[in-house]
Amino acid sequence: MDLKRLEIARLYNRFGFGPRPGEFTQALKAGVAATKQSFLNPPPIDSGAVPPPVLTDLGKRPEPNTPEIIIFARQLRSQKEELELWWLDQMVATNKALQEKMVWFWHGHWATSIGKVNYAMPMLTQNQTFRKYATGNFSEFSQFMFSDGAIQVWLDGGENTVKAPNENFSREMMELFLLGVNRYTETDVKELARAFTGYQVSRSSGVVVYNEKRRDTKSVTVLSKSAVMGPEDAIAHLVSQPDCAQFIAERIWFRFISSQKPPPANHQMISAFAGREIAPLLATLINGADLANPQYEIVKSPVEWFVSVCRALSLTPSKLNSFTKLHGYLEKLSQVPFSPPNVGGWPTDEAWLSSASAQFRIAFATWLVNQADLSAIEALVPAKRAAYLADLLAVVEWSPRTSSALREVRDTVPRLVILAICSPEYVVSP
Amino acid sequence: MNEIPTMSAEQLGMSKYTRRQFLKFSGAATAATAASVLSMNDIAQAAITRPLPLGTPILVVVSLYGGNDGLNTVIPYEDSAYYSARPTLNYKPDTLLPLTDGLALNASMTGIKTLWDAQKVAIVRGVGYPKPDRSHFSSMAIWQTGSPQTHLSTGWLGRWLDNQAIDPMMAISLGSVLPPLLAGAKQSGSALPLGGLIIPAGAIGKACMRLSTASQRDSKLSAAAATSMRNLFSVSGSITPVLSQPAPLDDDLPTVAGGNAGGDSNLTQQLNIVAKLIAAGAPTKVWSVSLGGFDTHANEANAQAALLGTVSTSISKFLSQMKVSGRSKDITVMVYSEFGRRVKANGSDGTDHGSAGPMFLIGDRVQGGMYGDQPSLTKLIDGDLAVTTDFRDVYSSVIENVLLTPAEKVLGKWSGRVKAFKSA
Repeated sequence: MDLKRLEIARLYNRFGFGPRPGEFTQALKAGVAATKQSFLNPPPIDSGAVPPPVLTDLGKRPEPNTPEIIIFARQLRSQKEELELWWLDQMVATNKALQEKMVWFWHGHWATSIGKVNYAMPMLTQNQTFRKYATGNFSEFSQFMFSDGAIQVWLDGGENTVKAPNENFSREMMELFLLGVNRYTETDVKELARAFTGYQVSRSSGVVVYNEKRRDTKSVTVLSKSAVMGPEDAIAHLVSQPDCAQFIAERIWFRFISSQKPPPANHQMISAFAGREIAPLLATLINGADLANPQYEIVKSPVEWFVSVCRALSLTPSKLNSFTKLHGYLEKLSQVPFSPPNVGGWPTDEAWLSSASAQFRIAFATWLVNQADLSAIEALVPAKRAAYLADLLAVVEWSPRTSSALREVRDTVPRLVILAICSPEYVVSP
Repeated sequence: MNEIPTMSAEQLGMSKYTRRQFLKFSGAATAATAASVLSMNDIAQAAITRPLPLGTPILVVVSLYGGNDGLNTVIPYEDSAYYSARPTLNYKPDTLLPLTDGLALNASMTGIKTLWDAQKVAIVRGVGYPKPDRSHFSSMAIWQTGSPQTHLSTGWLGRWLDNQAIDPMMAISLGSVLPPLLAGAKQSGSALPLGGLIIPAGAIGKACMRLSTASQRDSKLSAAAATSMRNLFSVSGSITPVLSQPAPLDDDLPTVAGGNAGGDSNLTQQLNIVAKLIAAGAPTKVWSVSLGGFDTHANEANAQAALLGTVSTSISKFLSQMKVSGRSKDITVMVYSEFGRRVKANGSDGTDHGSAGPMFLIGDRVQGGMYGDQPSLTKLIDGDLAVTTDFRDVYSSVIENVLLTPAEKVLGKWSGRVKAFKSA
């Protein structure tokens, strides 16, 4: 295997959403070191950035069977559609690949579903928070996430009061967001819930407010520390735990390097995260030897696959011929942005490789390729098309099986492209 | 891709699942059965050529994801401690469906009450396992592997499958992702995606078929990708299906308060398909279906009642569909959830994660009645109900009486039993 191609392909596929036409070839010329630098030192401003939709607070749901509910339902639907298309467009158009990939990562980490939140506005606010802290300071990020309206609704934070604490948010804060399962006790969960009491959230706007009357002001004991704590103190205490560094490092490894094989013990990531800065942790993965180690393969999730195809074929999600179809394909492939299946986030690897998803991927690919301008490929002599596609898609190498399948259809360019983007070599990042 | 990827030493060395291992486990199970994701046509063909002999017992497992609140399912309505623990989240006695022993069913469960009156429902009380784990993911993994203490990479029904002849039709889960429950070491159950598969035809179909042949150069995941595509074509399109493809139905329920801990939302549709396939003679002894949404931390009453109503109505409808087929005597339905909920309500009219909960066994082979001790509402362990029956007691009885297999082959040496089945 060509390790140079492997490393550069992984940079594009894992630390971004795949290359645009020409980028991979250029990166091969520039070399591995220079390409790593371009990921680590992105331009300060994202010149590709798509302005987020301007969403208004739709307020409380009107009573059933009133004229107001019809207007409300229509506005709600259109806000959700705008939100979904905006983010997909942004993922395709961004010039800050790693930043956007981290937004996507945090969306799966603090996994919140619009299915329960219901309103688009708090989901947009949450997404902006992911943007702000994507590669920033995790302590500040975690503090900020406590007051996130969407996650407060999702995990019943507003229901957690001194009279009867609700443990949903406190448990997931420890199990899924900051420490990892079994790195705390059941008592810690109950105590932390008390430190989290006293907040209420407006569902439609996502604004979180403090309500003294609901606050438990007595001392709590969380992970051996006893004090009168509010969420800020408690979260600071949790984030300062060595287990937090271990956990965040594991989570990032799991999504960027391998969900199949755990990181080697005492991986550099952990010391790089000592100050709880996310960027240095990522730098250890980009600069480290793991990136060139062929054993760490990973499957592109459906959204990653779709966005990469759009980037390679210069498609814009919002300009595809039907939002309903686009949304339908993502739904059939079980990955719609803003709708993770549960608070544990998206599945990985083989979970995306059922026969059902193979079928939908082929149909989705056909629909996309029919809307793409393929003239650059048509202009090539047929014998050169497969190699061109490998560079266009950042595929390390075509297997003999895929080469021969591609050879047979190389005169029919749309069919050739459908096959290339449905091939195991593209669906899996080697 | 017929074997389950083995867990790494690091993972085996850990005593419990981490959440990511649970997800990985689910993924591994999917891969293990990449060779046997089924279409309606597959099952239809098997039903015609080798139908399950009449009289063969069939198990239908219903997994309730999110942690069903047992105390508001089988309600101790004569116990004053119930009302004091849940001052605003209780049910008044006259709204309930009384059973025996001071217990009543949630008012939404009329279908199961009718079956109870016909003595076809066994309620096993206080079911759980030692040292309850309150993580959804860890606890569901424990229930599905059937192994509270040691970490196993196979599900309890997967290990039963390992003792059967290789047959992808033997155990089927509805939905495209296989639950760990059906993951075996030698063979796993199959997944039946709702809505069936549509096989690409014509030139693109031919080209995809070529693209999906095995290659020696394939890595593990590339091979899985190729296999998943290849399986699309292993289904013969020439057989006339005895079943029309089910139209995609709406979900049973709107999104409810407890919907963030996994599980499917269309139990009625799943059981409807199972009913049709059993009636058609599918050679399948185990079916797995699921319903999510039970993670009711807030405003529980309406949400849970709606969910329990779906469970109750869909099961009773399923069993009445079975009567026509002549197989109703063969069916046993088993219902469980990963944990019950805290005895004391949490002030947002919901309940937090707890421990023990009731299980239901339903069918003609079941000796209706109450089994296991009702956990005390006053002698709590850390705010939670004590476990009075180990789930392995129930599993053992199901393995022996429904699957007609020595329980030891699946669970190792385990002496507890719940004698809830009529003697054969």
